[in-house]
Amino acid sequence: MNIGVCAKISPHADARIKIKSDGSGVDTKGEKLVVGDYDEYAVEEAIRTKEAHKGAVTAFTVGATSDEKLVRSGALALGVDKAVLISDDAAVNAGPLGTAKLLAAAIKEAGCEIVFTGKAATDDGNSQVSAMIAELLGWAQVSQVTKFAIEGTSFTATRAMDAGVLQIVSGSLPVVITCEDGLNDPRYPKLPDIMKAKRKPLSKIGAGDLGLADVAATSSESNFAPPPPRPASRIIEGDAASAAQELVRLLREEAKVI
Amino acid sequence: MRAAFTEDQIMLRDTVRDTLAAECTPAAVRASWEQPSAFWPLLAEQGVLALTASEELGGLGMGALDWVLVLEEAGRVALPEPLIEHIAAVELLAESGEAEWVERLASGEARVTVFQSGGYAVSADTADAVIRLGDTGAELLTEFTTVRHAAADGSRPLFTVDGAGAPLSGDADAALDRAILATAAQLLGLGNQVLDLAVEYSKARRQFGKPIGSFQAVQHHLVDALLKLKFAAPVVHRAAHSVATNDPQRALHVSMAKIYASEAASLACRKSLQVHGAIGYTFEYDLHLWMKRVWALSEAWGNPAWHRNRAASSLFGA
Repeated sequence: MNIGVCAKISPHADARIKIKSDGSGVDTKGEKLVVGDYDEYAVEEAIRTKEAHKGAVTAFTVGATSDEKLVRSGALALGVDKAVLISDDAAVNAGPLGTAKLLAAAIKEAGCEIVFTGKAATDDGNSQVSAMIAELLGWAQVSQVTKFAIEGTSFTATRAMDAGVLQIVSGSLPVVITCEDGLNDPRYPKLPDIMKAKRKPLSKIGAGDLGLADVAATSSESNFAPPPPRPASRIIEGDAASAAQELVRLLREEAKVI
Repeated sequence: MRAAFTEDQIMLRDTVRDTLAAECTPAAVRASWEQPSAFWPLLAEQGVLALTASEELGGLGMGALDWVLVLEEAGRVALPEPLIEHIAAVELLAESGEAEWVERLASGEARVTVFQSGGYAVSADTADAVIRLGDTGAELLTEFTTVRHAAADGSRPLFTVDGAGAPLSGDADAALDRAILATAAQLLGLGNQVLDLAVEYSKARRQFGKPIGSFQAVQHHLVDALLKLKFAAPVVHRAAHSVATNDPQRALHVSMAKIYASEAASLACRKSLQVHGAIGYTFEYDLHLWMKRVWALSEAWGNPAWHRNRAASSLFGA
């Protein structure tokens, strides 16, 4: 089976997000960058699918040239067989649709039968690219998948819908599977595999190599700002019974969370 | 000569750091005071236990310059496992022709601890064999009795061991120096962690309307600890080079590393405790988990006085 997985390099979930001084975006300088959290589930599921059904896994990343090391440690060292890093200026400046066009073209060229993606990138959380890839390829897409199985050319996926409702979706390959928290428990890289990952094939290409001329973002982002500082804590005075009543009133009337 | 770690060595360190940060949490270290820790299978799975075994015996064939950074990371999280003793044992057993033991250790199937004759053996209760390092060489004990003793660090159980051993032909002095270097590396990691805890606390704890870290008197404490740790690091890494290359002055260098790392980590503990104030003294706060490991490791594998004498003997003759 020819398996694809999309892996975006993003700031670590524990990173302290800084805003660029002109408010044009997030400043990642000095931040620890990794394969995003949801994409880790996608990588793990791709590898498990390979282990269960044979074949090979190709990772696809749109990002900076310097992402190579992170793709090696965050995908190839875990069991992905090869990687495609789309990293020219056009790719770096592509918006969600441009990114989806690049990934879809690379996936098509690689001849994948199934592609795993995270449900959202850790940095911008747009949740757009997976659906766009499926649309561009003319494939089905199942989003927010928490359980997945393949039998022959058919698949069964469990979707986590709102309010704890689960939906079971069946269909035929090819398909884009968008991975949700809880789908699997991503493995840690083994030290010998880290050394081997350096020798695995990783091709760096640009938009032109995929026959795409215009992938520039069709929308712009501006006025990034940190969230407002949290107000100071309040201590509710009084005995337990009256304090509890006051707490409930505050949660209901001021915080409006209950 | 380029005196720097390679990209591979840094990548190994980062991988182990990420894994241990996720798995060996303060809560897990705290739990290991009450029940045996369970990180050995993870260390085996990730290949940490196979670092120094040869490739023919299922290992990675790596040397001290490769594992010294890994041991620092083990210290950073106060890993409650006898990794120091494991590192000391594997090459000694390999040099002694004990291939089966090496394979079993590298795969995590077996555990061996090491101790200096007359001293305590760490985690001997869960060991399949014990190596006793004496003045005339090393012995392997496969049948032995243990008696547990009180220890300041509850996650590092100490035992006296009794039993007859079979002599090992490998280099016992080299095994001792690996244990000392591994201890120094863990102390470096521990020291950096207690300093990081203090820095984070100084940013969060407010007094007189501002974080206490904004006061120069607090900053001076933190900088003193940082300087000591920064100066200790190259001494430890120099010793790793000497162990890796079997330098004629290996013993001198590892003793210096242990002295510098012990003193730096101990100072970091004192400064961290000072910055934390009263909460640093509580059992519920995590700081003591690291401090007690520093106290324990500062005395393990030769205390600073023993290493000063050893260094002096090496420099000036007995």
